[in-house]
Parts: sequence; structure tokens; C-alpha cells
Amino acid sequence: MQVERVDFVSFLTQDLARAKRFYTEVLGLEIETEGESDLELRAGQVTLDVFDPSSIGEPFAPSPAGMALRVADVDAARAELEAKGVEFDGDTIETSVCKQAWFRDPDGNALMLHRRYDA
Amino acid sequence: MAIEGIGAERVDYIRVPVTDMEAANRFYGELLGLRRNPNSPSDDWVEYEVGNVTLAVMTPHTHEYGFTPLPPSTIALRVGDVAEAKAKLEAAGLEVGEMWDSGACRGAGVHDPAGNRILLHRRYGPYPDGTLP
Repeated sequence: MQVERVDFVSFLTQDLARAKRFYTEVLGLEIETEGESDLELRAGQVTLDVFDPSSIGEPFAPSPAGMALRVADVDAARAELEAKGVEFDGDTIETSVCKQAWFRDPDGNALMLHRRYDA
Repeated sequence: MAIEGIGAERVDYIRVPVTDMEAANRFYGELLGLRRNPNSPSDDWVEYEVGNVTLAVMTPHTHEYGFTPLPPSTIALRVGDVAEAKAKLEAAGLEVGEMWDSGACRGAGVHDPAGNRILLHRRYGPYPDGTLP
């Protein structure tokens, strides 16, 4: 068995219209495809699928995946998102290898602005 | 393609929370055959490279927060043949869900040892622009 790549990463939503506004207008992701119960967005090299599980009778749960979005400047990106009303989970963290700032989408799915010092 | 808006360039990694690193390493490294990044920072944060995305398999309880599994199908792994992958994992003793066919792709879910339901996935239908996977 050969695993070739990640086809998509999925986050669940309770409000698809709200999620669409967040991912397109706040984060600026481009829509790949759009259906009645899901939205596929291009997140750099991978597809982010935002899906309403109630459409198939499944329960909602926020994801702890903490998708790490690589940005050139964590502080600048954080300031831009804060200006758009995004609240961050605490201060920006500087580890020995990277800088990270944690936030959530409107459904509580964990996301991170991330930059390795050597990237 | 860079992400506009906040100027993001790519997804650096996705966290995969687990409760037992030894069991997780066997699942992701040996059973799924993912390549372990030799530069993984510690025994409780092991990175597996899956072509385009890094899966950071880690234990929340050693990173100061509690474990909760990923919602089902958070991560869709592209395999050459879902039925073949399902058979291989079942031969290794894992329980794999029924394979479904959406009309454009096939999939089957399997739980990792921590309860994260990973999707084995293969699209065969064309994308909206007409290109094939």
C-alpha cells in the first residue's frame, strides 16, 4: 500500500455560510468547489474541505488538528487578522525552531499562524 | 499557490493527537508506511511526511492539553486502490469500514490506535476543470 499524498483536510461546521465568509473574506482562501453542504478551499498545497455534518445526520465536533498556516511574518498576519476581528488564544509563542500564534475559526476548529526560522 | 489575504504560503503541518506514541508509530510508520522525518523534534512529537503535508503525530497530554480525537475523516490519504489498502490493513488485524463510492471517488475509514478515523481515499472522477487526479 502506497500512500501518495493528503487529498484533503476536513473541518466540520455548523454554519456553512459563516464558515465561507471566514475562510474567503478573512483568511482569503480561494474556493475550489462549492456544494450545498460543503466547501472546498485551496490552502496552499492541500485542499481544505469544510463540511456540514448535519447534512448526513452526523454530529458536529471542532477539530483539534491545529492546521499550521505558513506565513512570512506571524506578527503581521496576526495584526491583520485581529483587525478583522479574529481573537487569538493567548500570546504569540516563540519556540526554539518556530513562531506560532493560535486562533480558531467561528466553529472552534484550531488553526495556527506558523513560521519556522529556517524555512 | 500562495494563500492571499494573510499571505500564507502553505500548510506546514496538521496535528494528529494520540495517546500512545508506540502504537501510533506502528500504525503510521509500519502499517501505513509513511516516511518518518528523522528530524522530528522529540519522542512525543513525531512527524510523518505524506507527499504534500506533514502529519505531526503527538501526545497532547505531554503538551499541556487534553486529548480529543480528530473528527472523522479529518485527513484523507490518497492511496492507489482503496480496496487493496483496506485488504492490507485488515490482514494486519485492523477493522476497516465498508468501502463507499460517491460516483467520483472511493473511500474507507479506519481508526488509528487513538481513535482518529483516517480516510483511505481515491478520486477517479475528473475535477471541475476537466483534469484527472
